[in-house]
Amino acid sequence: QEAAKYEKKVMVLDFVMPTPLGNSWGLGGTCVNVGCIPKKLMHQAALLGQALQDSRKFGWQFTEEVKHNWMTMTESVQNYIGSLNWGYRVALREKKVTYENAYGEFVGPHTVKATNKRGVEKLYTAERFLIATGERPRYLGIPGDREYCISSDDLFSLPYCPGKTLVVGASYVALECAGFLAGLGLDVTVMVRSILLRGFDQDIANKIGEYMEEHGIKFIREFVPIKVEQIEEGAPGRLKVTAKSTQANQIIEGEYNTVLLAIGRDACTRKIGLDKVGVKINEKTGKIPVNDEEQTNVPYIYAVGDILQDKLELTPVAIQAGRLLVQRLYAGATTKCDYVNVPTTVFTPLEYGACGYSEETAVEKFGEENIEVYHSHFWPLEWTVPSRDNNKCYAKIICNIQDNERVIGFHVLGPNAGEVTQGFAAAIKCGMTKEQLDSTIGIHPVCAEV
Amino acid sequence: MGWEEKQVHGYPEFVQTAQRYHGRPIFALFCGDKDAEGRSWCPDCVTAEPVVRKELHNMPDESVFIYCLVGDRAYWKDPNNEFRKNLKLTGVPTLLKYGTPQKLVEEECFKAELVRMLFTED
Repeated sequence: QEAAKYEKKVMVLDFVMPTPLGNSWGLGGTCVNVGCIPKKLMHQAALLGQALQDSRKFGWQFTEEVKHNWMTMTESVQNYIGSLNWGYRVALREKKVTYENAYGEFVGPHTVKATNKRGVEKLYTAERFLIATGERPRYLGIPGDREYCISSDDLFSLPYCPGKTLVVGASYVALECAGFLAGLGLDVTVMVRSILLRGFDQDIANKIGEYMEEHGIKFIREFVPIKVEQIEEGAPGRLKVTAKSTQANQIIEGEYNTVLLAIGRDACTRKIGLDKVGVKINEKTGKIPVNDEEQTNVPYIYAVGDILQDKLELTPVAIQAGRLLVQRLYAGATTKCDYVNVPTTVFTPLEYGACGYSEETAVEKFGEENIEVYHSHFWPLEWTVPSRDNNKCYAKIICNIQDNERVIGFHVLGPNAGEVTQGFAAAIKCGMTKEQLDSTIGIHPVCAEV
Repeated sequence: MGWEEKQVHGYPEFVQTAQRYHGRPIFALFCGDKDAEGRSWCPDCVTAEPVVRKELHNMPDESVFIYCLVGDRAYWKDPNNEFRKNLKLTGVPTLLKYGTPQKLVEEECFKAELVRMLFTED
């Protein structure tokens, strides 16, 4: 849409290869269809369940037992997503961007072949190309994985309640899904190969895991599934999972209605003909290395989003990178995308917002003697009356002593972490120091005043 | 078989008609009432109607096109009228594909391309 603003003739080729179970979706990419949007809505559904419980202590009286209906929630979520898909179609049309629901692949210099779902092929040429094909969930490569397991691609439109679920993985996708499924009242177990939330601050990752465990989510640590078999067909059916320990020779078995795989995502770069135009990719990870102007090794081909090597896999980052790129190409701008100090939030039952360095990375980069960590537990006022945990919420900031105690890492674990973190991210971008933070008077009573 | 048009007035008649054709693609255009001379109190509806009618042949076979007059201006302005409450309409004219989130509102209905897209989308 940005390029069309500058009167460029633009075409978008978007095509979703169906999941092994046949699922597909509309225009908008992962975030809108099978990522952030449905995830946050379902997380909200789970939070509302909790709020209903708390409400009794605040004086609300209701005698009926409150139950959750998976179909009602899913229908509402999918309806909203459908309106977003349609909104994008209208927006593209209005801005005169040509849209084709077809699978694009390079067949030669400056030339792309588009194949639609009926197999009809068309060829297009262009001056420049932008690749933003994103990623898809990885499968384990064990017997029964594609036939019986689901991934996040299937979960948000599942036409039946998943029931007793085994989540395989310890990524934020795994923990967020496990979190809201349990919050909706389902029996959830998480099978973890080694650590939780690799790449995130481990002190906080462990607190998140502890909280989830204390709230009824079972964890099986240091095991990997080796086989999935179907005991009974159905919606959901019954599955038997056999798993092996990573430490010893132990084998365990378990029965579940649904197995959700969330062990990682792989870039969609292997089958789009990049070899035909000479774009180099990292053979091992499939990711595309680009320079700081999002340009691949082929000058007229650019890339943004999750497929970039060594860059953050976040929707707003991809959007920003894309917009700035177009502005540089067609509006004479020079601003490059700033990938440093990008705030993020993990929407586990106890939300985690972060911006900047984790404690481990800060120690590694600056040395333990040069950083100072300030931290505090806090008890949200809203949790006091319903007697919810009084020592779980936590905040910490990491400061660089050698640079005026500049705040280089911000971490908060508690309700509305995303909302809290956004403001602090702006402050960190401005180079806030500990002194400035101290001299900012807090708003009371809110969690953020800590 | 092609397509057919049904003209209805007011919310209950609309719902009845839509239910009767359940299972077939249903498109609906909502406009303000017309006076004795056939002119609507809604100027945008006057503009949109010919544009939409010109594109009707693009609707899939078996489609039903419901042309619905919602009521007079006072009825429409009431924030609690049934169209706003139950169908979530926010303005007239609105052209929508019944049972889906796909719709075009107000000036969007003036654009033949968008109308065509609504009628031919999967």
